[in-house]
Formats: sequence, structure tokens, C-alpha cells
Amino acid sequence: MKVRNFSIIAHIDHGKSTLADRLLHATSAVDERTGRAQMLDSMDLERERGITIKSSAVTVMHEYRGETYELNFIDTPGHVDFTYEVSRALTACEGAILVVDSTQGVQAQTVANAYLAIENNLELIPVINKIDLPAADPDGVSMEIEHVLGLPAEDAIYVSAKTGQGIPELLDAICEKLPDPAPSMGDKLRALIFDSHYDDYRGVVVFVRVFDGSISVGDKIRMMGTGRTFTVTELGRYTPFAQKLKTLGQSEVGYMVAAIKTLGDVRVGDTVTLEYDPAPEPMPGYKEPKQMVFCDFYPSSGDDEGGKRSDFESLREAVERLHLNDASFTFEVQHSEALGFGFRCGFLGLLHMDIVQERLEREGGVAIVQTAPTVSYIVDLNDGSTLEIQNPADLPDMSRVKAIREPIVKIEIICPVENIGDLMRLADSRRGSFRGQRFVSETRQILDYQLPLAEIIYDFYDKLKSITRGYGTMDYEITGYEVENLVKVEILINGEPVDALSIICHRSGAEGRSRAILAKLRKQIDRHQFEIPLQAAIGGKIIARETIKALRKNVTAKCYGGDITRKRKLLEKQKEGKKRMKNIGSVNIPQEAFMAVLEQEG
Amino acid sequence: MPTPPIQLSQYDDGPSLAAATRIVDGSSPDALYAHVPFCRHKCHYCDFYSLVDQRDRTEPFADRFELEAETIRGSIDASKIRTAFVGGGTPTLLEPPLLARVLAAIRAIPEETLDEFTVEANPETVSEAIAATLVAGGVDRVSLGCQSFQPDLLKALERWHDPSCVPIAVQRLRDAGIGRISLDLIFGIPGSTIDDWDRDLDAVLALEPDHLSCYGLVFEPGTPLAEKQRLGRVDAIDDSIESAMYDRTRDRLAAEGFEHYEISNWARPGEECLHNLVYWQEGDWLAIGPAAAGNLGGIRYRNLPRLDDWLDGTGLSPVVNVDQPSAVVASGERLMLGLRLRRGIDRAVLDGLVTGHAERQAAVERHLQRGNLVWHENRLRIADRSIMLADDILSDLL
Ligand SMILES: Nc1nc2c(ncn2[C@@H]2O[C@H](COP(=O)(O)OP(=O)(O)OP(=O)(O)O)[C@@H](O)[C@H]2O)c(=O)[nH]1
Ligand code: SF4
Ligand SMILES: [Mg+2]
Repeated sequence: MKVRNFSIIAHIDHGKSTLADRLLHATSAVDERTGRAQMLDSMDLERERGITIKSSAVTVMHEYRGETYELNFIDTPGHVDFTYEVSRALTACEGAILVVDSTQGVQAQTVANAYLAIENNLELIPVINKIDLPAADPDGVSMEIEHVLGLPAEDAIYVSAKTGQGIPELLDAICEKLPDPAPSMGDKLRALIFDSHYDDYRGVVVFVRVFDGSISVGDKIRMMGTGRTFTVTELGRYTPFAQKLKTLGQSEVGYMVAAIKTLGDVRVGDTVTLEYDPAPEPMPGYKEPKQMVFCDFYPSSGDDEGGKRSDFESLREAVERLHLNDASFTFEVQHSEALGFGFRCGFLGLLHMDIVQERLEREGGVAIVQTAPTVSYIVDLNDGSTLEIQNPADLPDMSRVKAIREPIVKIEIICPVENIGDLMRLADSRRGSFRGQRFVSETRQILDYQLPLAEIIYDFYDKLKSITRGYGTMDYEITGYEVENLVKVEILINGEPVDALSIICHRSGAEGRSRAILAKLRKQIDRHQFEIPLQAAIGGKIIARETIKALRKNVTAKCYGGDITRKRKLLEKQKEGKKRMKNIGSVNIPQEAFMAVLEQEG
Repeated sequence: MPTPPIQLSQYDDGPSLAAATRIVDGSSPDALYAHVPFCRHKCHYCDFYSLVDQRDRTEPFADRFELEAETIRGSIDASKIRTAFVGGGTPTLLEPPLLARVLAAIRAIPEETLDEFTVEANPETVSEAIAATLVAGGVDRVSLGCQSFQPDLLKALERWHDPSCVPIAVQRLRDAGIGRISLDLIFGIPGSTIDDWDRDLDAVLALEPDHLSCYGLVFEPGTPLAEKQRLGRVDAIDDSIESAMYDRTRDRLAAEGFEHYEISNWARPGEECLHNLVYWQEGDWLAIGPAAAGNLGGIRYRNLPRLDDWLDGTGLSPVVNVDQPSAVVASGERLMLGLRLRRGIDRAVLDGLVTGHAERQAAVERHLQRGNLVWHENRLRIADRSIMLADDILSDLL
């Protein structure tokens, strides 16, 4: 029996999951009638949003020229934030199917994912999908692939994952073109962990690709990276239904259960070997995904203090539960003067952040207040040490700071040629530096820019989408940290600096941002008996100012017999309102004021 | 068979006659309030219960009023009643014979002669016949709604009367023998200036009233005026101007020999409104007529504000908004009302209201420190300069 291990990669929505389903049907793994659409998208959220968040590995059998092929394939997510999921999947494979939508052409993640596969020395089969659609231009798109990625246009296979057209040819190409798994390097077990998920009943389920040796139920295993040992209680593969196996042999892909309690106990990229007959060297692992975008989650304020505390506990439970399923976001307890207890979380990117928030609210049943996203900064201190911070409040006194470095990304935008000018202006206004420009086809171009991550986490993507009326796509990749002219802007209310409101930003944008913040604050803070100055300062120097005029009147004119109860209730409301405010520098600041400032701008 | 005690909370949502009976029966009020819900035209700032174009309902009103007064008379201890007040609406819109019946019905309730019997009137309604009816009915005090003497400001309020009828009304009332006259003014009307306000003060002072009520205009939710404000068609005047108007009022009236005795009320010595003092000193008062509010034995209530339903009934009016403040709430109300009075609260009384309430005590201290509250002759009161911020202070003390 021959084995083919491959991933399905593409830009978002180009049809990976549909194609994976089609392969299941074509190999009779799933009955046409019982199969749910997008078999491999199992999470509720995935089905609802119609996008894939986590990879899934499946095994099917296929007859080709009288021989049985075991096809192990992994459906991957297409969104920019999940590149790390794709790269894990790729390490477990010898080949990849690059799906391109014949109505959309080559897009940003098409390029990014194809490059990932090429870097991993994978054999690529270009597949032009959705040829059933009237707007399909498969010849044009295969030319784009040749042009941008250097894959010969005549190698592309035209399919419709919807109707099944072209699928037999694709299956043949998989068997014929994709290489056999590399021969074993030794007989000691080496299995690479390429994914894991958490199951309420079985605990952690680990996906492995066996490179050398074999693994059986009952084996005592050791994770070579962490040194932790476990006993294998279950092995199997998805066909797509779970099928238990006694053993996973060389070059096979499957899942493993070993009484592992939390995802934190498993490192994707780690090598599994046998405790009593270990391999001398682990597989070359891949680097841990790094959280690049941060924000705080707080429970939306309860009505009273008691409610607040229990809301925080519900949030904590939800965060911990979700973390069992997605170890790629980080969290730590955060206390904000203004918003109470919550969590500071780190994400792989913006979509990842949205998805985590949505899942917390949905699966955890807690209403969440989310602060504006920030990036992490590296602070070089005068004494030679460095510090990584995500929170402006953690920035040490500037007299101790030599330099602040911020993450820089390389972005690749694919867009219609007529939008190039506007997009360049957008990137320039975000401190971008132009790197290059290439043609995808006569009507579309690739634009390369380098710019600070902090500049794209606000609304860059939305702007890109609106400028290109939805046709532009982008991919970004962190290239490193660079020293920039960054400053900490402090916000002072009635002369008192308010930590929770300080921001780190580029000096050139400091004044504009400060003005916007002060204007929002002015609207949110009630007038007091005295005039309240609102100021923004860099190192003690005031760069913007607003004033809240003194309150001159707050009195009930009439309070006769029939008015008393109502007036008392009005006063009680005023009192409750004041209680929920934070008192700083004898100014009562409502939570909404902090929110208005901390919330996503724009 | 004894009837089981009635749970008041049972009647919180709907009108209840049983609750009315339970509250009124056996009560011993200090005062009576009667409500006459008719007006010629609805002023745009008004949130009182009053209806226009009801000429065919005034006689049924008098009939029904007599029935209610009769029932009350038979079921209460009337020995403590000292004052009565007829408000509205516009009581003087009733035809003189009907007004006479209403006044008589009220007068029949108390055991003793009233110390004060006030009726509210709109200047344009005060005919000689009305003035005579009031005097004949035992009324000794009239509160006259002037609001402003400037046609454009009256227009801004959609208040329909000609300022020139005010002096005529005052003269008619005095000629008929009404000894005590109070005038109402409103300041802070959109578009008004300090000079406008000075002219209004000149005009009322020229009429030599014994008592003055000066109210800062309130945009009451649900009124046409508040709606116009919401739509941006009128703006409240700057609150520093309004505050200046208030200071002006205090200064000028003090110079004229008036005592400032409540946030919005001034009187010549001995001319305070005794009836309103019952409200502010948490006495008990009884309500007659639709929408009238009462307070008996620690329970606040309001007669059902629906003229038709009220007319259909006999005996007591069903009540709504039944509210029995807890001890803490009640003491908070006493602080609120006590400090709205300029004389403030006696030290011993205050101690009783704040002891055991750490938060209240701290708030009193805080406001004393900030100078919002002051001690004056062993009484705690709101400092002159902080009266315009009274709600800010009082809300901390509840
Ligand atoms: N007409 C037509 N529609 C298709 C075809 N293949 C996929 N689609 C549709 O395209 C949309 C996206 O398909 P998916 O399979 O979810 O795409 P995906 O690449 O898995 O998306 P992500 O996992 O979120 O990156 C769905 O609405 C599919 O029904 C096709 O061959 N023809
Ligand atoms: S006259 Fe008085 S009660 Fe009648 S509508 Fe005008 S303000 Fe209201
Ligand atoms: Mg998918």
C-alpha cells in the first residue's frame, strides 16, 4: 500500500473545506446523503462563519491503477492569522494542493501559503476551483499562478468542488505526482506533533505524523522537547469518523490520546518517542507561534459590586476553558483602576482576537468589554537590560529608557491596479515604506510595503477593503523590531495622571491621537462644581488640552407633595451613578469614559 | 368577619380601591390637597395632570368631588386638619357655582376652621364673580401663576395670557377681600436675559405680593418643550446665566424684605405657605380628585390620574403609585426636604437622621469641608453659593 500525505492550502474562502468534503465523497468515505456540508469544519463557529479555524487531518483510501493508496490530508485555515496552523500541517506532509478560486485569482494568502509550502520542499499541485461559476476564468488564473509563483500553467487541474467536476483527475494527480513519504531514517519511534485539540471526554487529543518506527496503544512515550512522559491509551484516525487503531506505523498520520490533561502539556512541533527505546535526535521542530496583538477583556460592568466579582469569575472560567481548546492565545489577570479585574490576552492577529472574543461570549456566556488592541514593545534601558511590555502603564520612567522598539511587518497587498494610488497613500500615512510592486495580471498588482504593526491593527484592513471595494487582500509577516521615535503620552485629569489612559505612539501622531482622546473624555465626564482641565503630556510637556466647564446648576426647582417620591428617585439615580464612577483627582469619571478611550478607535 | 390585612405591595402595579380604603380609613391628616384637572390650553412646559376642552365635564366633576369628599369625611379623623390647597390644572376655570360647591365640600371635612385655604388661579380666569366665590368659600390665599410679564417669553412657554391681566386679577382679589396673594414666576426661559428677569422681578414687586415662588424652568421629560429641546428647536439657556438670575432673585428679594425659606420660595415674615410646609416637614395630607397625591401614615399614594374612570366611580378614588418608604429611605427624604428649606435642619434632628449611616455622615462632613453645607445657629443648611447645586449635595445624603 502506498501513502500520500498532503495539505490543502488556499486563500480564505477559495474552497479548501469544500474540496476536502468532495475528496471524502469521491473516495466513498462519506455517503453523499449523510455528509454534512464542510465535513471537516467541526466547530460551531467554523460552520457559522463558514471559515476554517483549526486544521483537521483525515485518512481515506483510494484505488489508482490497481493499487490502494492511503491518502492522509489536512484541511487548513486560509486566514492570515492562522499561518502557523498551516505551517504545522505542512511539516507533516510531502505535498500540498494549492486551491485558487477561478473567479478571484491569486490572492495574498495564496502567495503566502504557497511560499510556505515551497520553503518546506513540498510538491505543489495547483488546483483551479469553482469552474462551475459563470465568472470563472481558469485559464487567466492559471497564468497568474505561473506568473507569480512560477508553477507551470499547464499543470493546473480545473475542478469544481461543488459539482465534482475534475475531482477524479485531481485524485489521479495526487497519486501520481506527490512523492512517497521519505524512507525511514531509523527504527526508533519519531512522531511529529502537528496539532492538538481538547476533547471534554478524552482530554487532549494529539495529531501526529509518524516519521520513523511505530507507536502502539499501551506504549509509554516521552515528549522529547518537554521531557514529559505519558502512556498511550488510544490511537486512531479520522475517516472522517474516528476509527481506533492498535498501531500507527511509519509515515502514517493519526491521533493519539494519552491522559494528557491540558493543551499546555503539549508543544506542537515536539517529537514523540518511546520512553524505554528513545530516538537519539528529535525531528527539527518548528517555532512556537508568537502573540503579536494584545487587548484586555473585562466583564461588562454588573450593576453592583457583587455582580462584578461573579462576572469576573465567569470570565475566568470561560477563558480557562477556551484556552484548553486554543493554546495559541495567552492570558493573564489584569487589574485596571477603571475597569476592575479582567484579562490581558495575546493573539496571533486581529481575526484571532475577534474569534476568541466571540467564542468567550458565546461558549462562556459572558458579556465582554474589549479594549483597543495594542502591540508589544521592546524597551532598551540605559543599564543595558531590555524589557518587553504590552501595556503603556508598564513603561518605566523615560529617564531610564534608551530606546523603544516596535514590531515591524512586511505586508503584501494584492489589489486592482486602479487602487494602487489610494493604497499607497494609505500606507504612507501609516508610516509605511514602499518596497516594491509587481504584476499579477494586467488588471491586478502586488504591492509590498513595510510598516509598523501598530499601524495596521486599528483599521488598516477595513480601509483596504473599502478602498478596493472588497477586492483587495493582504498578508503580513513580522520581520522584526525596530527603534522608532515612540513616546508615552500621559493623560491628566484635573492635573492627575491616569495610568489606564496612557498610550504609546509615534511622536508624529501623538498630538492628533491626544486630541481625539481628550475630546472623547470631555463628552463622557459630567461637569463638576469646578472647572476640570484635561491634558495630554509627553514627559511632562503638555501637547493637548481641553476643559470641562464648571457645573453651575443642578437643582430641582419644584418639590411639592406629589413630586417627592419621584425627585427622591432621581436623586437616588444620581447617587448610584456617582458610585459607579472612579474618583481620580476629585473628579468622578464614569466607566464609559475609560471605555470610550480604550475602545477600538475609528 | 374581620377582613384580612391588605398587603400594599399587591397594588403597586394597578389602580386599587382596596388600597385607598386601607390608606385613608382612620387616617388623621394635617392638610387636604384637592386637584382640579382642567385647563383652557396646555402650556408647553407643563407636566401636571390637566385636560383641555372639558366644559361638559365640569358639572359631573363637582358631583363626583362631593361624593369623594363625603366619603372621606366619614372615614377619617379630621381634628388635625389646618390647611387646604386646591391646585390643578386651573381650579378657577370652574364656573362660579361649581367652584362654590367644590370649596364647600372641602370646607365640610375639617373639624376646626382652617388656618390657611389656598386656591391656585390663572390671572385671565379671575373675574369678579370668581373672586367673590373664593372669598365666600372661605379661601384666604390665592396663588397666581404669572410666569413672566413679557409676551415673547410667555409665547416661548406657550402660556396663554396677557401680562396686563395680572394686575387686574390681583386688584380684583384684593377688592373681594383675599388677604394673602402669592405670585409665581419662571426664570431661565429660552431666549431670556438677566435684564428680562430684572423686568419680571420689577413687575411682580410692583404688585406687592406677600409671597413669591420663582422657579428655574425645567424641561420635564415628555412635555412638548422637552421634545422641542430634543429636536434642537430650543436650547436651555446657559446655566451660568440661569445661576446669575437666581443670585439676582435672592439679592433683590432680600433687599425688599422677603425671607428666602425654600429653594424656590420667598415670603414676607409670617407669610410662608403653611400648606407647603406640611409637605416639606413630612406631615400627613390627604388627596381628593383625580391625580391628587397624598401621604398618610408613612404611605405615599396618588389618586388614579384618569378623569373618566374617576367620574365613573363613587366614594374614594382608586389609588396608584402606592409607596411605603423604608425607615432609611424616609430619613433620607427628611434630609432632602429639610435641607431644601433655607432654615435647614436642627442639629439634634440631624443627629437622628445620620447616626448609624456612616456613608451619610461622611457625605455631610465632606460637603461641610467643601463649603457646600454650613452650620448656622445650630442648624445645618446649604450654603448660599451652593443652592444651585443642591441636587449634587442632596443625592450624596440619601
Ligand atoms: N460555486 C462553487 N462554490 C464553491 C466551490 N467550492 C467552494 N465553494 C463555495 O465557496 C465558499 C467557501 O468555501 P470553503 O470550502 O468554506 O472555503 P475554505 O477555503 O475552506 O475557507 P477557509 O477555510 O475559511 O479559508 C463556500 O460558500 C462554498 O460553498 C465550487 O467549486 N463552486
Ligand atoms: S395652566 Fe398650569 S396646569 Fe394648566 S397647562 Fe398651564 S401650567 Fe399646566
Ligand atoms: Mg475551510
